[in-house]
Amino acid sequence: MSDLSSGELLPVKEGLVSGAGQDDVRLLGSQCDSCGEVSIGTNSVCLNCGSEEIQSIELSTEGELWTYTIVQHKPPGEYLGPEPFQPFGLGLIELPDGVRIMAPLEGDIVSFEIGAKMELKPWVLKGANGQAYRAFRFASVSL
Amino acid sequence: MSDSDIVILGTGIHPFGRFDKSPEEIGAFAAKQALEDAGMKWSDIQTAYLSRMYLPATSGARILRNLGNPGIPIVDIEAACASGGAALRQAVIAIRSGEVDTALVLGVEKMPRGFMDPNMIYSPWQVKMGMSMNPAYWSMRAMRHMYEFGTTDEQIARVAYKNHKNSVHNPNAMYRKEFSMEDILNSRLVCDPIRLLEICAANDGAAALVVTTRKKASKLGGRPITIAACQHTIAQYSADFRCPADSMSATINNPGPTAVTAAKAYEQAGMSVADISCFEVQDTDAFCEIEIYEELGLCPLGEGGPLVESGQADIGGKYPVNMSGGLISKGEPVGASHVAQVVELVSQLRGNSGNRQVEGAKAAMGHVLGAGGNCAVTILKA
Repeated sequence: MSDLSSGELLPVKEGLVSGAGQDDVRLLGSQCDSCGEVSIGTNSVCLNCGSEEIQSIELSTEGELWTYTIVQHKPPGEYLGPEPFQPFGLGLIELPDGVRIMAPLEGDIVSFEIGAKMELKPWVLKGANGQAYRAFRFASVSL
Repeated sequence: MSDSDIVILGTGIHPFGRFDKSPEEIGAFAAKQALEDAGMKWSDIQTAYLSRMYLPATSGARILRNLGNPGIPIVDIEAACASGGAALRQAVIAIRSGEVDTALVLGVEKMPRGFMDPNMIYSPWQVKMGMSMNPAYWSMRAMRHMYEFGTTDEQIARVAYKNHKNSVHNPNAMYRKEFSMEDILNSRLVCDPIRLLEICAANDGAAALVVTTRKKASKLGGRPITIAACQHTIAQYSADFRCPADSMSATINNPGPTAVTAAKAYEQAGMSVADISCFEVQDTDAFCEIEIYEELGLCPLGEGGPLVESGQADIGGKYPVNMSGGLISKGEPVGASHVAQVVELVSQLRGNSGNRQVEGAKAAMGHVLGAGGNCAVTILKA
């Protein structure tokens, strides 16, 4: 049983995020030794070619916004974003590693632009049971 | 034409909408209508396939036992939005094998209102982080297309305008109301740039097909329509947003599932896009239809917006698309969706479509695309 009062964070998805403390998040990926393809998360098989010769890597923390939308209504299911619901950006961020990762976007919903420089930000989510999760968003790089 | 052609001899449909009726009722309604149209009895059917996504296990048997129980194989098939294509393909394969000569393909669905249950297609972490809304995926695709090719809000709205306009003539559609471009462009945003009058709704519906050989059909009379091709594929690695993707490759550009499946169908039919008189396609959202024009080869990449704007996809245009009103007007009872597209196309090829008839239709294509990158394409010819 984890001690919830100490704010221990569980990764929102095992093998995808790691970090130390509340204000830290890193994204984990995998690179195939055979075809070179990079995928998100810690995988034992390459999702492109099926090879099992695959290495865990840490993904870049900066990239470019490849596309996005504004989610105007509360998504169905156990969404753990802000209450009451606020419209938010959701985008694909192209990382220099050769992968585009989907993530919620932090910041004003009128501020996003395809091609903009984005950076990884920690995002702590609270579950209905009080469990906190280490998740992530991307935000425009402040100049 | 040859005796070995596989044909559709009978079609049936229960209108799409929201009804206080069970899947058994609407399914049996469509099946009986298809049998009647084929001039057959339930006891003439040697195998049956039920296309469905939301209904529970053994729904095919539960629905069809209401017609009597001859003890034939009845199999439920699920391939998300392409379930109907996957089921029809199984019927074609069974008949081509020679094991049976007559099959029933039934599509039935009864779905709750609102966004689809996210836990059926998304991982828990995607749900927690707010990545569990289907229109968000379509919208991100639309935003990129607008950025790369200059596709406009008006061009996207023009798809919805056309499909709503066509629906007025389809008694089986859920929404049968014409909307102005202004109505559509002023309807509320669901996910930018996609608006309420530009997306389809989950609902109830059923459709059925009696599939047999030309040899058998010629003994019965009626109006057989040849299945020239029926293909189903799943998107290759990183080739589609609807997987639903949590990431995409930035280095590998595999062709999308629509392009791949359509290429296989054109090859199987020995046809090209120029041979197809009319199309029913997966307009889960209005933008999606624009991308489908490009992947089916109606126009080059990036020119789907101008194509719809020019009226080429209207009834009377060069490539009429979604004469039925499309999913935007009919709704999408997932398992019934492709089966109902085929019902519409058979009606078009028989010249029975009244005010939504494409004059002189000789060949027709149905296309569906959904979760998991599931895509099915069927080509029929008169």
